[in-house]
Amino acid sequence: MLARLDNVTKRYRTVEGLRDVSLEFPEGEVAGLLGLNGSGKSTLLKLLAGLLVPTAGRVTVFDGTPRRNRARLVYLGEADSLYGWMDARDAERFMAGLFADFHRDRFRELLQGLDVPPRKAKAMSKGERGRLRLAMTLARDARLYLLDEPLAGIDLLSRERILSSLVREWHKDSTILLSTHEVAEAEGLFDRVLFLREGRVALDARAEALRSEGRSVVATFREVLG
Amino acid sequence: MKGLGTLLWLEYRRSRVWSAALVGSLLFWFWGMNQVRAIDLGEELGIRLVLLTMAWLVTAVVLAIMCGRFRGETRQGQYQVLLLSGPSGYIHILARFLYALGTALPFAVACGGLLAWAGRQAGLPLDTGSTLQAILVLPLWGAGVLVAPVLAWVLLLMTFVSAYRISGSGWIPGTVFVFGTGALFGPLLDWMTNISFSLPGWPLFGRLVDVLQNMNLDQEMPNPEWAFLLPQEPLWIMLALTVGMLVLAGRIWEEVEV
Repeated sequence: MLARLDNVTKRYRTVEGLRDVSLEFPEGEVAGLLGLNGSGKSTLLKLLAGLLVPTAGRVTVFDGTPRRNRARLVYLGEADSLYGWMDARDAERFMAGLFADFHRDRFRELLQGLDVPPRKAKAMSKGERGRLRLAMTLARDARLYLLDEPLAGIDLLSRERILSSLVREWHKDSTILLSTHEVAEAEGLFDRVLFLREGRVALDARAEALRSEGRSVVATFREVLG
Repeated sequence: MKGLGTLLWLEYRRSRVWSAALVGSLLFWFWGMNQVRAIDLGEELGIRLVLLTMAWLVTAVVLAIMCGRFRGETRQGQYQVLLLSGPSGYIHILARFLYALGTALPFAVACGGLLAWAGRQAGLPLDTGSTLQAILVLPLWGAGVLVAPVLAWVLLLMTFVSAYRISGSGWIPGTVFVFGTGALFGPLLDWMTNISFSLPGWPLFGRLVDVLQNMNLDQEMPNPEWAFLLPQEPLWIMLALTVGMLVLAGRIWEEVEV
């Protein structure tokens, strides 16, 4: 098991971001984390990344604490995270210096595939910055990819490029957890879908099982969370 | 130490404008000191020394802000990337500290140059040894006693606040930390004053002292030798405190939640 949550609760002031959630993530699957705003998707991903500590319960990644095993996981957060002065070359130097599993060659291929322009981040559009961040993320050789809304606010063509890169770069021994509101576009990627509502898991299902019942992920989303 | 080079480069890219502005501000302070006109040379020297002290204090504050910019990085998401990167918290903290201190040192040496210039303008007979002491020894001692601990304190404050925000609010641990360390500062200062000169002091401006004694100024300065002795103890104590605060900040880095 790559990661698991045991009865995890995360409380912010008076609000519970996640309530008594228990989940397991084996290797080799792409799981969609779906839910309305404030349903706990980002909290769940941050807990798995070790950027948050649970108020109750336990988070285990690679049989240890997430922060201790941070070298083996990748987290792509909602926030931009690029320095304005950074261009693709700076990004390469930054990542290669700070992450041992970063592959320069793969990064350059991804830059081409994602059509990232050779400009500073502050002169890029949101879609271009999103693509650069994804190239930085996918050029790492991690086992667990935690991607929080990588498609948010990005134009259709960029979203298509990002999704096709995810498909191309995914390795069978790694697991991707992807939170997104673009359910219809991403549903073809998912092996498993987790629907979150008010900090709880409303439904945990295999995408294939839903399809065999003649239900799409989008239809199930409306049914479960609507 | 893996990643230190990259983190120093990152500090340089993030903060080079600040560093350049600080070093550039020396021209401003020199201009200000050059504008001072007073009735006698002693008064002129006094005003220039006040300006030089102000330059030091402003620089220490600017450097502290420069290396303690955690809030903006938290909002923009860069902090998350840094927290999950390979190098340990100790290396991250060390890189921030070293870059800020590296900016402070040339500034300090240049301020020492201004001190020597002000002394000569006031007619003080500074020989080569005394000039070098003004340019190197005194500023480096000042950097060790003031700037290094202030930088380490700010880094510790910022990591402490990031790690122990109570219910998401940073002002509570921030207030506790500032008042807590503030309360310790008074007794620390008293203790340092009491033990100063237990070890032999470092004599400065030797020939100048001789000249002043020959000028029979000893009624105003009963023991002029003491006035130009630098105590060792504050330097060692503050450097040890600096190392302690950096180690603690590096450890707390691993506890930070964003």
